[in-house]
Amino acid sequence: MTDITIIGMLMEHWISIIGIIIGGICIAVGVHFVPVGGAPAAMAQATGIGTGTVQLAAGSGLTGLLAAGYMYMTLSAAGTPGISEIILICATGAVGAMIMISVTMLVGNWVYIYGVGVPPASAKKDYDPITGDPQAPYVAAGTVGQGMPTVCFVSGAIGGLLGGLGGSLVYCMLMWVNGDAAISSIFAIGVFLVNAVLPSYNIQGTIEGFHDPKFKRVPKAMLACFIASLLCGIIAVMIPGMSAFGGA
Amino acid sequence: MEPAMGMGLVALMGAAATVAGCSEDLESDIGSQSNPNSQVQLAAQVGYPHRIFNKAISGEPPSNAMYCAVGAGVAMVLIQSMNASPLLAIAIGAFVAALLNGVFSTTSYMGRSASQTRFNQYVYLDVLRNQILSLMGHAYITTFCIVGLSYVMWNQDLIGHPFPFPVIAMIWGLAVGAIGSSTGDVHYGAEREFQDFKFGAGLNAADSGNITRFAEAGIRSSMDNAWFCSKFGGPVTGIAFGMVVFLDNWRSTAFDGWISVAVGTAIVILLIIYNRQIETYARKKYGPYPEYSGDIEA
Repeated sequence: MTDITIIGMLMEHWISIIGIIIGGICIAVGVHFVPVGGAPAAMAQATGIGTGTVQLAAGSGLTGLLAAGYMYMTLSAAGTPGISEIILICATGAVGAMIMISVTMLVGNWVYIYGVGVPPASAKKDYDPITGDPQAPYVAAGTVGQGMPTVCFVSGAIGGLLGGLGGSLVYCMLMWVNGDAAISSIFAIGVFLVNAVLPSYNIQGTIEGFHDPKFKRVPKAMLACFIASLLCGIIAVMIPGMSAFGGA
Repeated sequence: MEPAMGMGLVALMGAAATVAGCSEDLESDIGSQSNPNSQVQLAAQVGYPHRIFNKAISGEPPSNAMYCAVGAGVAMVLIQSMNASPLLAIAIGAFVAALLNGVFSTTSYMGRSASQTRFNQYVYLDVLRNQILSLMGHAYITTFCIVGLSYVMWNQDLIGHPFPFPVIAMIWGLAVGAIGSSTGDVHYGAEREFQDFKFGAGLNAADSGNITRFAEAGIRSSMDNAWFCSKFGGPVTGIAFGMVVFLDNWRSTAFDGWISVAVGTAIVILLIIYNRQIETYARKKYGPYPEYSGDIEA
């Protein structure tokens, strides 16, 4: 370890830093796609999923990370995964996250429709941009919509895709650096949370998806997450795995 | 691994996840954790003191992630350093997590209620005594099931996932909290907390904090809420978490490479189509709100 300088490490792993930055930006953009209604949605007072931005994005993205981690292990049996294998691993993570968030939104809609007796409706648009269904007449008095109409559902699935993709990419890049699944998984969770928390300042509690006016703030989040991911990437590539210390 | 063995394990994990999801939601309903807690907290401040348990330790995902990671950590230590039987180790790990839940619930209830004395909200010791054990019991079931399914994923002779045991449990704990908070809690927050109001609408912002404080018989307690939510909110949360664990593991166990990605994408597309069908059903069944006075035709 003594002959490895910090600059040498950065130069050796610059591709991994770029991968972590791309992954971080994917996570940041994905968070904006997820229809989050926060506390009001839990009282059917706002459109979207009735929980917090970070928690939902992390729940789905990290479920995808589990699938990606398993796929990485399977593919790495034949040697260090290359670009084509990384694409497959990221796709697996993305689909895992999409399944988690889609099931959550579907069952959430069961509760809204059968348990609370409300039709899903968006208050941000007069007509659903995908199905063209009128929304305003179905919004209950004193609320700003409820449930997940089709546009929110599709937006949420895209958000899961980007979140899972970003998380898996960060994990793969870290595995390239240290080859240690334990360190890589924990650091990938950390990078995921950093990039999920920063955009939540843009979202301020609730967002319906890509049709929400708040979605236009995405570039600011991308810039913030670029800087944060760059810092995370620089630190990440300097953390050696257990193998560097002679461990397993 | 034999394909039949793999499918059996995936089915076992799905079953454990279903139980975990259900008990997680009921635990949060008894304790009024997560988002519906905002109304329980607000009630006394707007003149409606109550006897509902009030514990917003944190969001459900971080708190469940903590219980599961602690449970898995204890179990791992027992398995690796004392050669304990995995079942016994997981049971002890879940018990430690349940004790943590008890500590957090107690301090949270006492602290929150005590800070509202100026609004005539008392600390009811009988509420604490009666409900703390059921909270801990539900937390035990949730942690036991999640640590158990994480053990199946982690064990090198079974699925052999590369992540450490506590990290797998933490991720599933985070996921079960996110799912419980997004699905079952809506049944508690939007329906059970406001049963005095007409069925078929979300909470009108003007009625915030006016929670239902009288039960089918006597004053409503959090046990009554668990009884109600166990009929729908809890089971659907279990179905949701069970579906996530089963579908995600099934596609990666039964198929390889890009086929598993394609199968996962097909599942998502089917879910989008099914969601559209129930959305259309709800719009036809319930119709537009009669109070609506805008120009857009339904």
